[in-house]
Amino acid sequence: METTTLNYREVLKNKEKIVVKIGTSSLTFENGRLNFLRIEKIVNVLSTLRKQNKKVLLVTSGAIAVGAGRLGFVEKPKDLAKKQALAAIGQAELMKIYQKFFAEHGQSVAQVLLTKDVVTIPVRHQNAKKTLNKLLDLGIIPIINENDTISTYEIVFGDNDTLSAIVASLIDADLLIMFSDIDGLYTGDPRFDKNATLIKTVTKIDDNLIEKANGAGTSFSTGGMITKLAAAKICFEAGIDMVITNGKDPAIIFDILEAKEIGTHFHPLKN
Amino acid sequence: MKRDKLRIVFRVEFITLTDNGKDINPRKFDRFVRVVSNLRNSGKDVIIVSSGAIALGLLKCKDKNNMIDENCLTDLQAVAAIGQAELIREYQKFFDEYNQIVAQVLYVSDINGNQERIENARNTFNTLLDMGIIPVVNENDAVSTIDIELNDNYPLAVRIAEITNSDIIIIKSENENEYLIIAKGAKQVIVVKNEIELYDKIKNINKIIVPEGKFPATLKELELLKN
Repeated sequence: METTTLNYREVLKNKEKIVVKIGTSSLTFENGRLNFLRIEKIVNVLSTLRKQNKKVLLVTSGAIAVGAGRLGFVEKPKDLAKKQALAAIGQAELMKIYQKFFAEHGQSVAQVLLTKDVVTIPVRHQNAKKTLNKLLDLGIIPIINENDTISTYEIVFGDNDTLSAIVASLIDADLLIMFSDIDGLYTGDPRFDKNATLIKTVTKIDDNLIEKANGAGTSFSTGGMITKLAAAKICFEAGIDMVITNGKDPAIIFDILEAKEIGTHFHPLKN
Repeated sequence: MKRDKLRIVFRVEFITLTDNGKDINPRKFDRFVRVVSNLRNSGKDVIIVSSGAIALGLLKCKDKNNMIDENCLTDLQAVAAIGQAELIREYQKFFDEYNQIVAQVLYVSDINGNQERIENARNTFNTLLDMGIIPVVNENDAVSTIDIELNDNYPLAVRIAEITNSDIIIIKSENENEYLIIAKGAKQVIVVKNEIELYDKIKNINKIIVPEGKFPATLKELELLKN
């Protein structure tokens, strides 16, 4: 049994240290251009959480899409070096927007670009952990992305799904909220399968579940459900709750924190 | 010509971007520019028709007050020449924050009735829009006086909408965050109270456009369609 009808949502009411992951498809229109209204909404929500004294970290994608927009590219390039160049351009632009929008709510942000070294090299791991915790102590919202210019993991694999779970476990978060372009994990691909239903709670990740998650994704994002399950696995190992939900309306975070049945809740059962 | 993109003329009066006409209010200006940028990013063609050359010119000439007679047309045209440069600089500055490029188009009503010049203007607009650029249109106040005399740039917005074969006109209202939307040939003006509503309405607007229809010619006519 990988899914359950039991409801563990009550635990979400007391979450204090929250990582929010937002992917390219939630930040942009279908043409890959930034959706400022959407960004404004997410900034609004995270600022409110900060004002409630919660600790908030944002893991964001979108650098390549923003870079492509800046240079007037109609389609996202396939060439890796070009993508990395666009990421260097776009990351600076993306931070500028976040800084500007967060400042409107009196919030300060910091840019933290990570590579997978934070997992594999203990010194890097310690440094990143200390830096992030210090930022949180200072009341600052860390805005995290993979360092696309020198690292290719996100570009090739996961639209930051894995990175967000790594960050969550690094700082010992209480909750990872993952915004997607669909409502959560389904029993099939809801775009093609009419009988697909939303799985509300997951307490165990096995091959059967991974099979259900095959496919899913849009032209500007590379993360499907598979990478989200990989992220959930990392969270489970660290004992962290995770919720996958639709990024259309970021204010849904408030409902999630009130234990309402939204999206798919991954709850690690204590042994 | 069949277009798949919705084409919008966004009419703004400079005073709505200021502190009661005293000076530019950066927060209001930024909000307006953000709304337009988001429409543009969502794949719509957007043309701004903006007043403000004279108002900004007067602000710029504060220390030369005694040399300017605000009732003298020639003086106002000189002031407009100063202010138009300021106006487009402000638009460039604010739009740059959203990665948008603007182009200045100064319209003179002489071209009305002259098919060749109308065709030229239309081609220019089409080229700019195809390049993803936001044209910012004003009457060429330095040489033309209709707008100054009318003190209202709505008819210019209608004229630009006709020339560019636009589908809707959006009017930034005097009330902050309020917008009026009129689709071509529509029998009713849609009033929205905030930006979120604006995006929602625009999404569904294709249904009410009458391709061979007209826009209300004046603000008075438009008011009558408000219910």
